[in-house]
Amino acid sequence: MKHTMREHFSMELRAIKMLHGVSPKFFPIVTINNTLAALLPYVTVFFSAKVLSELATQRRPEVLWKWVILTALTTGILAILSAFFKEREETLLDDIWGRKEILFCKKAMSMDFADADRQETRDLRAQIAQNENWSGLGLMYAAIVYKEMVKGVIGILGGVALTVNLFAIPVPESAGNLRILNSPLLIFLFAAVLIGVSMLAGFLYGKVADYTNRLTRDATFGNRVFTYMCTFPFAKNNRLDIRIYNQQPLISRAYSDNNAVFSADGSFGRAARGPMGLCSALAVSISAVTTGFIYVFTCLKAWAGAFDVGSVTQYVGAATALAGSVYAMLEAYGDMKANTEHLATTFRYLDMPNAMYQGSLTTEKRADRNYQVEFRNVSFKYPGSETWALRNVSMKFQIGKRLAIVGENGSGKTTFIKLLCRLYDPQEGEILLNGIDIRKYRYDDYMGIFSIVFQDFQLISQSLGSNVAGSVDYDAQRVKKALTDAGFGPRLESLPKGLDTQLYKDYGEDGIEVSGGEAQKIAIARALYKNAPFIILDEPTAALDPMAEAEIYAKFNEISGDKTAIYISHRLSSCKFCDEILVFHQGAIVQQGTHEALLSRKDGKYAQLWNAQAQYYTK
Amino acid sequence: MKENKQKQPYNTLQNTVWALSIGWHTRRRGLILYALVALAEILNNLAGLYIAPKVLGLVERHAALPTLIGAILLFTAALLLTQGGKAYCGKYATFCVVEIRSAIIMLIGRKFNETAYPNTMDPAFQRLGNKALDATESNVSATEEIFRTLSTLLTNVGGLLVYLTILSGLNPWLLALMAATCLGEFAASRYKDNWIYAHRDDGNTYYHKKRYLRDKAESITFAKDIRIFGLQNWMFDLLDSVHDACLAFFLRIEKKRLLVDLVGAVLTVARNGIAYWYLIRLALTDGLTVSQFVLYFTAATTFTAWVLGILGNLSTLNRQSLDICQVREFLEFPEPFRGEDGDPVPKTNRYELRLDHVSYRYPEAEADTIHDLSLTIRPGEKLAIVGLNGAGKTTLVKLLCGLLDPTEGTVLLNGTDIRTFDRKKYYALFSAVFQEYALLSTTVADNVAQSVDGIDEKKIWDCLEKAGLTTTIRALPNGIHTHVGHEIFLDGVLFSGGQTQRLMLARALYKDGPILLLDEPTAALDPIAENDIYRKYSAMTAGKTSVFISHRLASTRFCDRILFLDHGRIAEEGTHEALLRKGGGYAALFEVQSRYYQEGSDF
Repeated sequence: MKHTMREHFSMELRAIKMLHGVSPKFFPIVTINNTLAALLPYVTVFFSAKVLSELATQRRPEVLWKWVILTALTTGILAILSAFFKEREETLLDDIWGRKEILFCKKAMSMDFADADRQETRDLRAQIAQNENWSGLGLMYAAIVYKEMVKGVIGILGGVALTVNLFAIPVPESAGNLRILNSPLLIFLFAAVLIGVSMLAGFLYGKVADYTNRLTRDATFGNRVFTYMCTFPFAKNNRLDIRIYNQQPLISRAYSDNNAVFSADGSFGRAARGPMGLCSALAVSISAVTTGFIYVFTCLKAWAGAFDVGSVTQYVGAATALAGSVYAMLEAYGDMKANTEHLATTFRYLDMPNAMYQGSLTTEKRADRNYQVEFRNVSFKYPGSETWALRNVSMKFQIGKRLAIVGENGSGKTTFIKLLCRLYDPQEGEILLNGIDIRKYRYDDYMGIFSIVFQDFQLISQSLGSNVAGSVDYDAQRVKKALTDAGFGPRLESLPKGLDTQLYKDYGEDGIEVSGGEAQKIAIARALYKNAPFIILDEPTAALDPMAEAEIYAKFNEISGDKTAIYISHRLSSCKFCDEILVFHQGAIVQQGTHEALLSRKDGKYAQLWNAQAQYYTK
Repeated sequence: MKENKQKQPYNTLQNTVWALSIGWHTRRRGLILYALVALAEILNNLAGLYIAPKVLGLVERHAALPTLIGAILLFTAALLLTQGGKAYCGKYATFCVVEIRSAIIMLIGRKFNETAYPNTMDPAFQRLGNKALDATESNVSATEEIFRTLSTLLTNVGGLLVYLTILSGLNPWLLALMAATCLGEFAASRYKDNWIYAHRDDGNTYYHKKRYLRDKAESITFAKDIRIFGLQNWMFDLLDSVHDACLAFFLRIEKKRLLVDLVGAVLTVARNGIAYWYLIRLALTDGLTVSQFVLYFTAATTFTAWVLGILGNLSTLNRQSLDICQVREFLEFPEPFRGEDGDPVPKTNRYELRLDHVSYRYPEAEADTIHDLSLTIRPGEKLAIVGLNGAGKTTLVKLLCGLLDPTEGTVLLNGTDIRTFDRKKYYALFSAVFQEYALLSTTVADNVAQSVDGIDEKKIWDCLEKAGLTTTIRALPNGIHTHVGHEIFLDGVLFSGGQTQRLMLARALYKDGPILLLDEPTAALDPIAENDIYRKYSAMTAGKTSVFISHRLASTRFCDRILFLDHGRIAEEGTHEALLRKGGGYAALFEVQSRYYQEGSDF
């Protein structure tokens, strides 16, 4: 995609503003440090040329020593000063590398769930991360470009100041033909060579970037293979099968088949020894031509008597540094251009709008918890899917009841829950809470009335207490009560650090491992702590043995109290303690009623499900 | 850290030789190219050193113009060639050494995948494994960077020798004094490097913590919980606090880096001062020309860079050697099981498995998970194992298939201690579905057939059919050649829990081993799918020995014998009917589970 110069700069600026928000000290420090860094070489060149000039001419000891002392002092002081800024810049750079990721976390946690769950969103995010890993392109590259530009601009200003005299001082009349060196045209020639070589280098550099870009897909693929191979044997899940199924040859083949990208004869190796290698070698070394030109021009002038050899060193040094700055500046501009596309990708992700409609009604905090929920002709397809996950679902249920949801894998049970709590909005039909479309409520307010333990619920490696409360600070008494109600009480008492116990070892060695059943109890405690009018449990006993399962069943009434409870399970025994059962089949509710009523319909789906399981338990 | 230093089994030289030898055998071009890089670098440096003094000399002497211009052109060409040559060789060499690192990664991966299962639970093995991966994870890891370190070392040594020759006319005391200033700089930078090295675990910990929180914040599984429970602010608090703590750590490192810079700045001023003082006096007394002055001044003040470089390289090499040493220790980690040196497994179609007073205790555990258990599984027998979580069911299966060796007692196959066999050959007897499974991110076919060549597509479809997956796989764009997962191929299919479980079953059927081990193979299936598997169970296990673990006691009906495990012991055994009649633990468990299925029971 082609972008205009204006777009390049506006993207760059936006990225800088964004990063400035993340770390406000960073850019001021970068500016000071790179100004100093750009000036330092000129100071050295200027002072040492003074010494050499005196040596080349009168050799007065007192003048020589004066300049030596001045040189030592200025360069020393500048070096010390710039050390402070340089190191602070490096520290802040390390910091901002990590901290800017919070922007992405913020986006991931605030976007509509439907967007978060879309494959395209994940691909976009993966693309941003992979570009950054592979070539550093993206948000942080804007900071690097800024740094180079500061250095370039200051370098050019300093260079011009020290080279002015190279052109201003004429060769004397006695120089004969060499008086041509006084022609102002030579300034243009000098500028032309300088810019021409820089542009040539920039062109070659661009060629290399083209080659690299063409290989980017190979590279990100190669990196994925590499990461996979390095993490695969580590994953706890894999350790048994690797051995019993002798997977090593397969894994080894997958690695060598797919990871040849980076090898000597792989696509990168071939490019590096072929045209890409030549271009990049030439791009790096072409600056020697400028150096040569500067020497010729300067030496000719000195030879013709315009200035002494001491000044030659100053002009050569300054002009070379100037050429370097021009080159760096053009390179920075090229980098900025190359980065635009990646910034556009980054902003496309960060700017993704929240499309879900949000109303302004508040859900009344009803003391009587008297809510009524109704699905009216609700149909829903997952984005990108052809088939309806739910089709024409209509149902009504009263609050305070126990509702069981059963059905085969993929029949729409979990989708039903996702629609109820507005993780998704249906394409057709409407869902009503107390007669009002749920889209008309404020989103966070509406979320507030649900506590859900999903099948794939997550606890994170933090303290037990904060996992239950979902915050750093919490009411310890309430957390304890929730844990006890969820059946975690005895284990809690056995933990020396109590609520401060760290879960899992990901965040520190001192964490404890909890079994699947224990984790489930903690997740239930989290749901209880929230104390929402709806409590929904999705397959809470799959990982449990019969005794633990029976314990959850027995506690279910107690757990749900006066709340509305919805229970999804493959173990149909759970239906017995629910007031009402919804039977899902192929995205529709095929039956609704009590256990006895449903079972009496011998040809019904419920009877089929029930008998498949119960036949083994009834004598 | 200090403790480690004394325990290194290999020294720096040995580790360097090891790396060079792997490099030589994998891609010797890389080593040769890096030697050329060093040569080009020295020549480039010389061209840069001589251009100013030579050209200035010609101007001073007012030499003929063609000579002057010719000299400049010559130097320009030299700069161009050496600079270009260095860049060209260096670039290509990078990919050669990546290949060398890849070869080492392959060795590490192989060790991981083939090491005895108990090793994977051993913290010492895990720690070494982590270190081995750290030493190979990126382009700057020791196993790749060492080649560049050696290349710069070569440059620095060569450069130093050349410069000493150039400066041989100067007072040797001057050079010694200059070299001595390097020691101060080196001491400071060594102090910094050691500090960073000693604290690198802290650095890594912060890195992993940040990474962990970010992954969680962006995780799609956690996304639901985050929204339902409003966990955003909690995550922000955690993210902010870990970044702040890490910044504080970076600021501590900054102090050490600053120290090095300051020492360096002061000593550079000192060196330049000494060089000026000596050379100006020489110019005033001996009439040194400006061009000579420039040559000596540049050489004298920069030859210390070679010395510093060598000192720095040696200390880097030393650190890299420590990393490489850990790779070697990991690769040489002792293997408790027999490999190819073991006996072959007898070929027969009747295998009897016997456990003779077997006990097993996990390392560091306080009690046996399996305790003094004796059991004979007859050829062709269908055995069920039931018991509460933690009763030792899965451990028993791991002992049977040789993933674990008992801490006491023996496991025998047709009367022979399985420890005498080539363990890989022994594994070949088992078709297993574990609760933990390894899904390869390659193709469906690979996952079912689990072999590199000789894949029988018809048999794959047969097994998929038996596991009830035909419709699912037929619906995929490339059938059994469709990619699985998103780790490697972005177009891969993501299976649900139930589908994965069926795929694992298909895999076990394809392997067709004489002994079938199924550990909770239906936990993620709905009642109808589960019942379907039960009904096919007899056909699946025909002619095989099978062991079935399940919380769903219904499954035990199809088995010849049921073991009820309690605290690592066989508490009861017999048929379903016999155990029910007995009215013990099994009967109680069955009663709890079936209670909810009884008609008319009340709660």
